[in-house]
Amino acid sequence: MSAAAPPDAAARHYAGGVVDDIMVVGVGGQGVIVAAAVIADTAMLHGGLEVKLSETRGMSQRGGSVSSHIRIGERVVAPSISPGEVDYLLAFEAAEGLRVAPSLTPDGVAIVNTQQIVPPLASTGIAYPFDAVERLAAGHQHVTPVDGNAVAEGIGDVKVAGIVLVGALAVHLPFAVETWERALERNVPPKWLEMNFAAFAAGRSIGAGDGA
Amino acid sequence: MLGNEAVARGAWEAGVHVAAAYPGTPSTEIVTNLARYEGVYAEWSTNEKVAYEVAFGASMGGARALTAMKSAGASVAADPLITSVYTGVNGGFVVCLAGDPGMASGMTEQDDRYFGRMSSMPMLEPADSQECYDHIKLAFELSETYDVPVMVRLSIQTAHQKSIVHVGERQAVARRPPHRKTEKYSLLPRFSRPMHRSLIERFARLTEYAEATAASGELARVEPGARGEGFDGPGWVVLAGGGAARIGVVTAGAAYISAKEALPEASFLKLGMIHPLPVEAVRRFAATVDRLFVVEELEPYLEEQILAAGIACEGKRWFPQWGELTPVRVGRGFVEAGLDLPRWAEEKAAEDASVIPRPPVLCTGCPHRGMARAMKKLDLDVHGDIGCYDLTTLPPVEHMHSAFEMGASIPIEQGFTRAGGGEHGGSIAVIGDSTFLHSGLTGLLNAVHQRTNVTVLIQDNRITAMTGGQTNPHNERTLAGVETKPVDLAAICRALGVDHVAVVDPYDYQACLDALKAGLAFDGPAVIITDRPCMLFPSKAAGLGAFTVDEELCNACQLCMSLGCPSLHHVEATHKGRHKVAIDTDTCAGCSLCEQLCRTGAIKPVDASGPEAAR
Repeated sequence: MSAAAPPDAAARHYAGGVVDDIMVVGVGGQGVIVAAAVIADTAMLHGGLEVKLSETRGMSQRGGSVSSHIRIGERVVAPSISPGEVDYLLAFEAAEGLRVAPSLTPDGVAIVNTQQIVPPLASTGIAYPFDAVERLAAGHQHVTPVDGNAVAEGIGDVKVAGIVLVGALAVHLPFAVETWERALERNVPPKWLEMNFAAFAAGRSIGAGDGA
Repeated sequence: MLGNEAVARGAWEAGVHVAAAYPGTPSTEIVTNLARYEGVYAEWSTNEKVAYEVAFGASMGGARALTAMKSAGASVAADPLITSVYTGVNGGFVVCLAGDPGMASGMTEQDDRYFGRMSSMPMLEPADSQECYDHIKLAFELSETYDVPVMVRLSIQTAHQKSIVHVGERQAVARRPPHRKTEKYSLLPRFSRPMHRSLIERFARLTEYAEATAASGELARVEPGARGEGFDGPGWVVLAGGGAARIGVVTAGAAYISAKEALPEASFLKLGMIHPLPVEAVRRFAATVDRLFVVEELEPYLEEQILAAGIACEGKRWFPQWGELTPVRVGRGFVEAGLDLPRWAEEKAAEDASVIPRPPVLCTGCPHRGMARAMKKLDLDVHGDIGCYDLTTLPPVEHMHSAFEMGASIPIEQGFTRAGGGEHGGSIAVIGDSTFLHSGLTGLLNAVHQRTNVTVLIQDNRITAMTGGQTNPHNERTLAGVETKPVDLAAICRALGVDHVAVVDPYDYQACLDALKAGLAFDGPAVIITDRPCMLFPSKAAGLGAFTVDEELCNACQLCMSLGCPSLHHVEATHKGRHKVAIDTDTCAGCSLCEQLCRTGAIKPVDASGPEAAR
């Protein structure tokens, strides 16, 4: 995908009532809310589209499951995605990705961070799915596992792992890199910006299949 | 913008001068955001009743004022809420009430629309962020024109979704002269009787307004619906088993959004003002359709009024009385009602229920953890309250037996004790610092006055944490950043007449056990206060130096795991069939509780071990 998408790429992509249903899931503290805001802001900054976002908040900060829904189209009504209608799933944690996998459309794309965070509940004997990524890939056609943490650490800090995944998602959406970067500027503190740009670029390479 | 951000922006542009609230999901962000704007005095009051009264006092003083609360907060503020509609206002006064159908943040999913109905307060119900912004501005004008407080009612779905808003500029609204009319604000019978009659009259004029704006399509609008293929006009929907019918839906707010997503082909009457309800507008709309559905969350609030007006409609027969009304739940309701809707015909799973649940847990290093474990060890009946420590009701800690509502733990413990409860190890009331200052003081005073022998644990983490870290009177600064005098909880308890007040370090497990035993043994009301700050708020705490497990010495007894700390996890190595434990040294906060429980000496500070262990 070229750096500057042609001006009508989004218009063609969303023509005829197409809505992109994007779900971002993870564990409280992983940056799901920031990532979702970046995706939503990109679509809003592009202009001419309706964007809605809904998310779980509060209780989920303390290590609980977090989920944000972003819907983009010419016209979007509900801010939440209905079961079985997720077009793009970004999972910052492997088990969380497996948890919501039933909500993917048959052609849905899942970009999954291979990080595993075992919840304290596992100490009571309930099994944690260490084979989450394999099970996801077995049940769905378009699953891209990404070692987001390793890529982020290579860039400078594990905290940007989420933006690596956002970069991998970006190759599927008709927005210019410049627009994505403006969205990052709105959501990331200035001293972290360069690292986030680098994480986003690394993610795009992965998403485009240019290697990990 | 979040719905709540849009409310704040709209209120600011409408010239609001004073905003008072108590934090409560899903309303918290309203005042958090308002506090960031110039020209607004915003505060976190001690509780919702106080907040309501502070804001109303500002309205009496001639300024535009706002208060915001969650459902349970409206229950706390019910007294001034109902009274304020009787008296009317001076400066425009808006009440933002955010409900939580589906109970994402616990407590009840009460239908707050009945507060409006009971008090005759008019209610607006926005459906997205743009309407949050538009409705709040209109609410201030209506309040001044009709001399009533006006409610802007949100569901969590609306408050916490983000959609695009077109904003404007702040208008300068002059303060109205305060009037010294005793008869307006004093609720003595000779004044309050004519007030009620005047309220009935004001409500009649508001009803005319509701009908007029519905007729002109301003606050209510008829949406013809997407035109289906092969149909003459809009609003026709295919029925299961053949044929088609003109379907109409009356709805508002978040329910409108879900219904519109579920059935765009139907004709909609979307209400903006739900109280007074423009019944004639509904009657005219009903005449244009074959079947009229009422889609609303929780109670048949609209449905009953529509039926009472003699208009046939279908509502709770198809759409549940509990939980959030998502598009799929509305869609399934329409399918059961006989509409042929391929998108909703099949039940689809949203989640794989076999994947291990991940409920929120107390953070690593949380000061509530040690006492929770100690209370469990002593097998106490624990009456909790509302706050982060409620998370200890979950496995593996599971030590709390009730968590009723704000400030309830202390009086409940009194009644429980008077009934002879506490047969196990004894019983105790647990409450947080914010909740204690919200509504625990009066309960404790009651125990002292009635000479009821109770033990109270105040878990003081110096912040209102569960809602996102707001300040309370225990802090050194207010929401506005003004330096203030932090209250001394121990001194308050002594001043209330409690003779046994002990302060203990919650990271010292043995001290916790000793303090609990001493408090329980004391003859008379006893208060124990734990005192360490929250790990998340006001900023992420640095931690005291991580600990690590020597795998050789670990005997997999699981005592440390019983703390439920997220930094501890099982490793592959086992002993006698149980997994040994490791500590994530990146996240460990160094509270040392696991080290104190460990009987083999396997847990040590990272610093004290060799360099290999620091990995």
